[in-house]
Amino acid sequence: MKSRPELLVGIVTNPESGRDIRRLLFGPSVFPTSEKVSMVIRVLAALGAFGVQGVLMMPDHSGIAAGVMRAVQAHCTASLDPWPEVFVMDQAIERSANDTRRAVRFMLDAGVRLIVVLGGDGTHRVVASECGDVPLVTLSTGTNNAFPDFREATTAGIAAGLFVSGKLDGSQVCRRNKRLKIRIGRHEEIALVDIAICLTKYAGSKALWDPENLAEMFVTFSECDSIGLSSIPGLLRPTSRDDGEGTVIRFDRHDPRYWLSAPIAPGLIKQMPIHSVEPLPPGVKFAVMAKCGTIALDGEREIEFTHEEHPLVWLDREGPLTVDVPKTLELAANQGLLVSRKRNPDPQQTSIS
Amino acid sequence: MTPQLDKKLLLQAYSTMRRIRDFEERVHLEFATGEIPGFVHLYAGEEASATGVIMHLGKEDYVASTHRGHGHCIAKGMQLRTMMAEIYGKKTGICGGKGGSMHVADLDLGMMGANGIVGGGGPLICGAALAAKVKKTNNVAVCFFGDGGSNQGTILESLNLASIWQLPAIFVAENNGYAEATSSRWSVATGNIADRGAAFGMPSAIVDGHDFFAVYEAAGEAVKRARSGGGPSLLEVKVNRYFGHFEGDQQTYRGPDEVKKLRETRDCLVLFRQKVTNQGELTNEELDQIDNEVKAEVAEAVDFAKGSPKPEAADLLTDVYVAYA
Repeated sequence: MKSRPELLVGIVTNPESGRDIRRLLFGPSVFPTSEKVSMVIRVLAALGAFGVQGVLMMPDHSGIAAGVMRAVQAHCTASLDPWPEVFVMDQAIERSANDTRRAVRFMLDAGVRLIVVLGGDGTHRVVASECGDVPLVTLSTGTNNAFPDFREATTAGIAAGLFVSGKLDGSQVCRRNKRLKIRIGRHEEIALVDIAICLTKYAGSKALWDPENLAEMFVTFSECDSIGLSSIPGLLRPTSRDDGEGTVIRFDRHDPRYWLSAPIAPGLIKQMPIHSVEPLPPGVKFAVMAKCGTIALDGEREIEFTHEEHPLVWLDREGPLTVDVPKTLELAANQGLLVSRKRNPDPQQTSIS
Repeated sequence: MTPQLDKKLLLQAYSTMRRIRDFEERVHLEFATGEIPGFVHLYAGEEASATGVIMHLGKEDYVASTHRGHGHCIAKGMQLRTMMAEIYGKKTGICGGKGGSMHVADLDLGMMGANGIVGGGGPLICGAALAAKVKKTNNVAVCFFGDGGSNQGTILESLNLASIWQLPAIFVAENNGYAEATSSRWSVATGNIADRGAAFGMPSAIVDGHDFFAVYEAAGEAVKRARSGGGPSLLEVKVNRYFGHFEGDQQTYRGPDEVKKLRETRDCLVLFRQKVTNQGELTNEELDQIDNEVKAEVAEAVDFAKGSPKPEAADLLTDVYVAYA
């Protein structure tokens, strides 16, 4: 790889996101590779317009990086609008979450100032476990996500470009997110939205969509209009991303205090048997009540545990930094950062007057 | 969600996967001796796919397979000894030794056969599924195909036909990463075969083909959907094959340790054993016993095949559509 420019942004795309078993069940559409390519291209256009010189991109097996590179080559010959130089990392592909972990570590070593993440809650969880204090711009590529923003990639790219340009105070536009931690023996994992305990013994196809065996869940934040499991606390005890605490819910199909209708997946509204709803203050360790089963991190069953293991869950405020896109653009607007007195002939300078 | 598989089903799943693996490993060895005629394409490494899907099917449900079809045949219930004899081209083979590896079939079991034509299974199961729909039998039909087959017009036409007729069909794309020697990363536009479902208005999903429980759960939902009149589904199973495209393939297109690493980290039998013993559902002794029984069964199948007679000259004129007076 040749020498990289200083203003560097990483882009992580999950080739697997938006294709889980829920697509077979309730009608949400697959989020196609072609749209992921298109989103990255829109991000590149915005980054280029705001002075970002280079992008490090994660390689993948499904043609996202290849599609982007084809577009970059075509752009170079057809347009003068500036795009950052794109470097696709030379990395073996396992077709697992390890690809994302290694890519993020590589990006940090290369000195990226920000990472744009295209994926679902699970993708962002994996990135968050490795990214340290490098902020994320989040973009949802699916229909069942709570953590990443579901917004146009171009505006997210503008916010990313403004952040990297250093014209804005990072502390004003970044949010330090809450996160959940779970310990099983010596093993620890994190979640950004929810940890759900399911009584089925095997992780199976991972995505959690059947409420029958749901025993309890822990949530960092829950918005009333969210989709997925976090809609349950969202409709009972809404908490924002900035509230100090989260929520714990326990379910009991045999002795519910009441039933709640909630959209636990796109196209799927189920009555959930609510037994208790409690605040989840930071730092307080909660023992998982189920004796064995599976643990879903941000909607995906990842860990199988037995009666010999006793998982503990707690909340802290050491989650990833994320760029608040609306706040970034609002500050930029108020400070006139997107305004020039005249049309600048040099496209590299159009961003910052 | 994965139905709570009882002990009997878990043992069945392991036994089926083990029978496929040992059968294929033995064919690999025997083919090198030169005794087996024609080509063989081995399914080792992909066992969880055939097993996880076909365990949801009954004898009356139909399966159309591929050139890499031994695993589907075994999962559908075919006997190892008559399959082995067929692969050896012997008269005692399930098709009288005339089909061989790429045309092994048993219609009595709903096994429409391995298929030497890449993508040839799609139209077959559209017919089978249409028959089931018209006759209201509540049966379903499953088409297995590979990443190479996914680019064939027959498969795309079949996806369209199944969708407009809302057939009780399940299309299972076993994406093992290579169409012969061509990487699917290069040859499959859209990257994921599952993405193509949307073009035909067909629900689709991707599942990890190294994990029996993942395949079993996803396939269960697709079969349930088809049986209940919900129409067809497309399931992309990401798998890896342990051997070459065909026996004798030097596999120069693969990384030097690619298969070794796959065997070490993504062996569906090892993963299955870890999961069920960790959960205390099965013991290592129970699984070892299956290993020993299957080993003996495969050895007996090879002995049976080797000891069987070849077809006779007169057999050339039987099992054909035209009568030669």
